[in-house]
Amino acid sequence: MFISRGVGKSFGSVQVLRDVELEIEPGEIVGLVGPNGSGKTTLLNCLSGFLNPDAGTIEYDGTRLDRLADWQVSRMGIRRTFQTASQPMKMSVLEAMLCGAALPIGSAPVRGLFRRKARAAEQAAAVGKALELLDFLSLSHMTEEPAGRLSGGQKKLLSLGVALMTDPKVLLLDEPTAGVNPTLRLTIADRLKDINANGTTLLVIEHDMGFIGRMCERVYVLDKGSVIAACRPDELKDNPRVVEAYLGAPRPVHVATGVSRP
Amino acid sequence: MLDFALYVATIAAVYALFALSLNLQAGVTGLLNFGHVAFFGVGAYSSGIVALHGGHWLLGVLVGVVVSSLLGAVIGRLGRTLAADYWAIVTLAVAECLRLVVVNEGDLTGGPQGISGIAGPFSSVSGLAGSLSWLVLCVVLAALAYLVAETLTGMQFGRVLRLLREEPMLAASLGHNITAEKTRVLAVAAPIAAVGGSVYTLYISYIGPNQLLPIETFLVFTMLIIGGIGNNRGAVFGALVIQLIYAGSRFLKDIFPIPDQSASSVRLLIVGLVLTAFLMTRPEGLFAEKLRRIDVHQ
Repeated sequence: MFISRGVGKSFGSVQVLRDVELEIEPGEIVGLVGPNGSGKTTLLNCLSGFLNPDAGTIEYDGTRLDRLADWQVSRMGIRRTFQTASQPMKMSVLEAMLCGAALPIGSAPVRGLFRRKARAAEQAAAVGKALELLDFLSLSHMTEEPAGRLSGGQKKLLSLGVALMTDPKVLLLDEPTAGVNPTLRLTIADRLKDINANGTTLLVIEHDMGFIGRMCERVYVLDKGSVIAACRPDELKDNPRVVEAYLGAPRPVHVATGVSRP
Repeated sequence: MLDFALYVATIAAVYALFALSLNLQAGVTGLLNFGHVAFFGVGAYSSGIVALHGGHWLLGVLVGVVVSSLLGAVIGRLGRTLAADYWAIVTLAVAECLRLVVVNEGDLTGGPQGISGIAGPFSSVSGLAGSLSWLVLCVVLAALAYLVAETLTGMQFGRVLRLLREEPMLAASLGHNITAEKTRVLAVAAPIAAVGGSVYTLYISYIGPNQLLPIETFLVFTMLIIGGIGNNRGAVFGALVIQLIYAGSRFLKDIFPIPDQSASSVRLLIVGLVLTAFLMTRPEGLFAEKLRRIDVHQ
């Protein structure tokens, strides 16, 4: 259970988040929508430890996350992706996948240097898992390519794969399909549903309402840093505050000319 | 002539140790350590000071390894609060502080005169046998350092370092503690340079503060750029190339009318020209960093 209570965050004089209340049950797929600049990414940064909020608390299964570092949150099984999915140029897709794995022997410089066999065995298991995931994400044919040279959509898929290497309990996804062609978008949606069916909780930032409608049971709407709605996706279009946030307030129309006035 | 060739090869092997150590920091991890010479200095002066007090040379090497590793960890820890560019400046300052301490603590370090007459492992072996023993020792050490550096770069430890060089945010999102990793790589890389410093000191049986000048660090950076930064083989070859340029420039004055006192300036001029030529025509160096193949059928 992921809970945020009264979360606030300011950058200088700009208050980006105010009093954000959010609850995510285990196994849910929750959407996070809102106009540009409404604070979606900042909220995701707070939830993933990349930013510490100025006010409020964030808890996961009873553990406070709001004062932890990014890597500590990640090690608790809460992993995130980024809006721009950059990947290393000097690493193959398979090596990039291994970066997401937990390899304790290979990570220890002195111990790993001397325990060659244990290191190799540990890595072989991770390689097996990486190849399975690459297959699942239709990236098998790219295994030996430089990760940084993949197309934008493939990088999004790879980021997802890297994040899945440790079987995370929660995935926080920042626009997983932005800039991706419609076919690949469907693939990503299908894969996310499969991942969720395996027990991973998902929080998805997305602008595509169709995507949100297909994927999510519940959706939070942010506007100017505050939660203005928390409802089912099909209820969004009937919510006047949401429509106003996205399309602007209805203005009185001059009867004779048909031109709206400020 | 043979003695000179053996000398050049031995020094090249010693410089390979410095270059491999710096490559782990600057090439693999992207940490611009402008005070790399401090690790060399710790090794060199540990050997010198232990020898001055009649200790065994092996003890000097050991002290150098331990102290340099601690110094590396401390310098790495500074990276927690400093951005990369400021950290680079601080490393330069740390190395300069160390040099000034060495110059001023005459009782301990011999001051500006340095420490001479240091006895090494092959001090009792004279002539060609002695030179050959040194060469073999230094080449074995360089080969060992290459193996260690290459293994570290290839295993998960180095993989994470390479990821945080290119994509630090991605590395953090995957649970890797960036500052801890930087501290660890400095603690591991420093002793490699310190062993080089110790061996160098024992080989020429002298160490003075002029060997701790910042130019030594930049010379090692030149080796990496020419050899191919990020590639361990490149580091070794870069050390060899620079050493050959240094050795070859001695013969220039036999061909061209260069006064003796400007010979060392000419040497630096050539190194500078070669560096510029590489940066303009082959910035990735002799051996560019390649993708690492992962054995799938293990």
